[in-house]
Amino acid sequence: MKFFIDESPVLFPYPRIYPEQYAYMCDLKRTLDAGGHCVLEMPSGTGKTVSLLSLIVAYQQFHPEKRKLIYCSRTMSEIEKALAELKALMKYRTEQLGYEEEFRGLGLTSRKNLCLHPSVKREKSGSVVDARCRSLTAGFVKEKKERGEDVELCVYHDNLDLLEPHNLIPPGVWTLDGMLRYGEQQKQCPYFTARRMMPYCNVIIYSYHYLLDPKIAERVSKELSKDCIVVFDEAHNIDNVCIESLSIDLTEDSLRKATRGVNNLDRKITEMKSTDAEKLQNEYAKLVEGLREAEEARDENAFMANPVLPDDLLKEAVPGNIRRAEHFVAFLKRFIEYLKTRMRVLHVISETPPSFLNHLRELTFIERKPLRFCAERLTSLVRTLELTNIEDFQPLQEVATFATLVATYESGFLLILEPFESETATVPNPVLHFTCLDAAIAIKPVFERFSSVIVTSGTMSPLDMYPRMLNFSTVVQESFTMTLARKSFLPMIVDRGNDQTEVTSQFQNRNDPPVVRNYGTLLIEFCKLTPDGVVVFFPSYLYMESIISMWQGMGILDTVWKYKLILVETPDAQETSLALETYRTACNNGRGAVLLCVARGKVSEGIDFDHHYGRTVLCIGVPFQYTESRILKARLEFLRETYRIRESDFLSFDAMRHAAQCLGRVIRGKDDYGIMVLADRRFGRKITQLPKWIQMGMDAKNDKLSIDQAVGRAKAFLKEMTVPWSRSEQEGMSTWSLEELEKHQAKKKEAIIQGADVRMLEGRAEAMEVVEEDEFGGADIDEVMADLDA
Amino acid sequence: MSKAATRVGATPTKRLAEDGGASRLSSSLHSLSLRSPSKSTSTPAFADSSSDICPVCKSSRYLNPNMKFLVNPECYHKMCESCVDRIFSHGPAPCPIAGCKRTLRKAKFRNQTFEDLRVEREVDIRRRVAKILNKTEEDFDTLLNYNNYLETVETTTFNLIYKIDVEATERRLQAFAEVQRAEALSTLPASQASKIRSVSSTQQITDSKQESSTDRVVLKKSAGQRKVPSSSMSTPDPFSGAENGDVDSGFNFHGLKKRVAPEPEKPYDPYGGWSVEPQYFILQDDYDVEWLKHTKDEVKNAAGGYDMKDFYTRALCDAFSGFGVFIDEEMTARDNQASGDAVIGTQTAAAVAAGGRDVHMDDLF
Repeated sequence: MKFFIDESPVLFPYPRIYPEQYAYMCDLKRTLDAGGHCVLEMPSGTGKTVSLLSLIVAYQQFHPEKRKLIYCSRTMSEIEKALAELKALMKYRTEQLGYEEEFRGLGLTSRKNLCLHPSVKREKSGSVVDARCRSLTAGFVKEKKERGEDVELCVYHDNLDLLEPHNLIPPGVWTLDGMLRYGEQQKQCPYFTARRMMPYCNVIIYSYHYLLDPKIAERVSKELSKDCIVVFDEAHNIDNVCIESLSIDLTEDSLRKATRGVNNLDRKITEMKSTDAEKLQNEYAKLVEGLREAEEARDENAFMANPVLPDDLLKEAVPGNIRRAEHFVAFLKRFIEYLKTRMRVLHVISETPPSFLNHLRELTFIERKPLRFCAERLTSLVRTLELTNIEDFQPLQEVATFATLVATYESGFLLILEPFESETATVPNPVLHFTCLDAAIAIKPVFERFSSVIVTSGTMSPLDMYPRMLNFSTVVQESFTMTLARKSFLPMIVDRGNDQTEVTSQFQNRNDPPVVRNYGTLLIEFCKLTPDGVVVFFPSYLYMESIISMWQGMGILDTVWKYKLILVETPDAQETSLALETYRTACNNGRGAVLLCVARGKVSEGIDFDHHYGRTVLCIGVPFQYTESRILKARLEFLRETYRIRESDFLSFDAMRHAAQCLGRVIRGKDDYGIMVLADRRFGRKITQLPKWIQMGMDAKNDKLSIDQAVGRAKAFLKEMTVPWSRSEQEGMSTWSLEELEKHQAKKKEAIIQGADVRMLEGRAEAMEVVEEDEFGGADIDEVMADLDA
Repeated sequence: MSKAATRVGATPTKRLAEDGGASRLSSSLHSLSLRSPSKSTSTPAFADSSSDICPVCKSSRYLNPNMKFLVNPECYHKMCESCVDRIFSHGPAPCPIAGCKRTLRKAKFRNQTFEDLRVEREVDIRRRVAKILNKTEEDFDTLLNYNNYLETVETTTFNLIYKIDVEATERRLQAFAEVQRAEALSTLPASQASKIRSVSSTQQITDSKQESSTDRVVLKKSAGQRKVPSSSMSTPDPFSGAENGDVDSGFNFHGLKKRVAPEPEKPYDPYGGWSVEPQYFILQDDYDVEWLKHTKDEVKNAAGGYDMKDFYTRALCDAFSGFGVFIDEEMTARDNQASGDAVIGTQTAAAVAAGGRDVHMDDLF
């Protein structure tokens, strides 16, 4: 269907549209017009991706400047889905418009997924593929070939040079499979095609890491122009991605490998001195001049800023004491040796970068300044030495990045040395965590460079948390609910068992037999009444294991066994995928199955349990993070001091977003239905932190139930769901045809003139009511602090 | 004792074969050093620190879990604490490791900080170099010059570490240290300088065995100069230059800023330079006026605490304090402003402000 939002025409590839999709598009357009950032929450299964894509593509085509869209998603499957949506959308547009638009949409993923080289693509590990690919495609390898040396090259890559550089692949939308097929046909490398075509694309779809991880972003994304529209989809975990991309863990093993890497470098330098001293001299001369080239480039705003390479670094020349290659190698050796010395300490140390630097200077005479240049200097040296086996230098690279970061940022980072793996371990296995506490550091360049950044997901509540944590300001913050013709999901909070004892996963009573038995009863009852699949989420693997073994002792699992097949998620990815496959098979034939999994595991993040794959989801316990972790404690403190986010607020926000993520797994569309059970007494106070769409589905009478009451409600709900129902019933109400949409637009115009409220019509959640709390957070904080102390 | 030494004699070569990785590297480092390879045999092949056996008494950590290893920065041979006690308790003795004839003292033994003894030694050398070559970025006028300086420092350190041209480098370092000291003295105020000089000279005597006797002579000379500090003002010290012969200041760094002697500190002024000198009159000691006579002669005014001068000042101030205040102008300016003609008002006000630059409200007390 084709309709207008303000003045721009939007082509939507389906004959009907949901009210919330329309509202979502309106808000998106408002953001793009205003040129700012926005945070949007819309329930899963309401067609977020397609509304996003159709609006932005329409916007691109309508406006002459054709701003590029960078669409970042989390997993491979989501990227593939988005590409498929885009392809369908463009096909629809062509049909409707009657001509093909000049349009390119590409997906980018790792070399491992896009390689065509007969021997390289068989490698299992991604880093090996990267390394081998580099050794076949690097610039100097080609030079060597031209000089007549006998080196192997990748045919697929070389063929690219024969093509016009801006037209490596014809216009259109290319899914990853399509790219592979085209590459095989034309004998050209899909990975490099995608990389090199990025400046000429209208839409790029790739993973977060290409934009957030400084090491990758430096190579892939820095040339993207300023007016790009950046979308982070499924962004509820974006702060963790940011933090992980700047955190470094060093172990004794990695230091050993780094030492080996330094020794290799040393040998290479000696070799090169005897054969090709001129090259080293050239590098030296260049370094005397400084990194000025890069600075000029950045002056013209050509590149995105890089947190690992701060601006002021570019303006200066490399310090004299690491200018010569051999000096730099000795410098690295000393630094690594110092780190090894630090690792020998047998008690936990947590210190700030300035204190680390002070101690470093006292012991080894390494100043802060050369340390800042470490990463850049190493890159330059590796380039000069023409090393092909980069993966050998990975640990060394890590150490160098660590050096640069520790010398660059005075706050926002913390060094934590943990000599023992666990409290009880006696054999030291030291790990030096260099943790980033501030998610804003990694994402800052993105917000600074791009005028419109859209952060969206199914679970973003409370909406103001993300702008605070990531330190940006929004023009639009909105939460949408799902408009439903019938009540198709039933959220419930179970806070006590049939014997009236409260159920909770709180640390003190999580292993009490009554609590465990009540959880067991809950599982049995819901296994009995649910027709197909049941998914159960636990707060952690540890708790899941202990509760399962206790259930086994109580004979609960034997009872469950009568009704459902039991499958368990493990930390091992392959075992889990096997379990998932079995689960699906079991749901497809017969009684169905129950899947026991973990709220922060793989299942809770990327797997959909649509329709009969998931009719009930049980969330056993509030999925708090492991509060004993020193890294988490440091981060909480940082958040409190810098962004004024209370510990308890953050912990409960984090727990609730994971809980919501788990609950959202079962409703994947408007004709899907399911039961959501939150089984912990603590959920009662946290209802407001759930996404609006779940909150609105939760009746007041459903938030304090015992098990048998919950079972009664669930049975009634399921009975209601068995009433024959056709899609036509939701027409005009939760789906709109074109006429209905136009009618709505007219009505809205009228309502705006009259000053009436139209929010509810479009499925927007009502404005956030501000809950006044006393400064010390009431009773809730004590509990969380007690958890912290436990 | 000698028996033990011979028994130990076989071990270094054996160890060389054992920890192939480390020693190969060290030999490659030595091959870097352009020096004759024969020299490298005298330098110790550093023991692998992971082996927990004392190379001298052969006791292992298995037998003695509290064993501590110590090294002496003279030769960096590692041995256990009890061996150190046993061998060096009665004064200096030669190193018990075969092939190493250095004399060691017990006081110099210490715990090793770094696992790699090469790094340990490097850091020791760096410490020494950093004490002498201690310029900072602020001392240089351009960054390039500072970077060049850093590189020179690094090269010097490398020379010492890998034993390239050790004597020449040492000589240059000594010379530079001398020049530096002289310069530092010349720029400091006299009282501090003598203090520092005495400290540094005692330090010099205690810490340096390596210093040649000529240096001592210089020291005595500089001690002699203490009586005439003005003569040491000329920067390249003529005495050290003459004695060191060819190299006069050791290193020549371009772009060094001249060191400026800090201004001598003024006495503390609580008003921060603000004074209350009268502007329109000069106070005299005494005024021979008729009508003052009475006041002067009165007995009660001769009491302690009463000063006729205060009286004069007060009277004069009363008389002159109205000077420089032009009420007319101020009134008209105010009236203009009040009359609402803002432009004229501001203009006149500006004129008043400009013309009345010397209008000075002299408030004395």
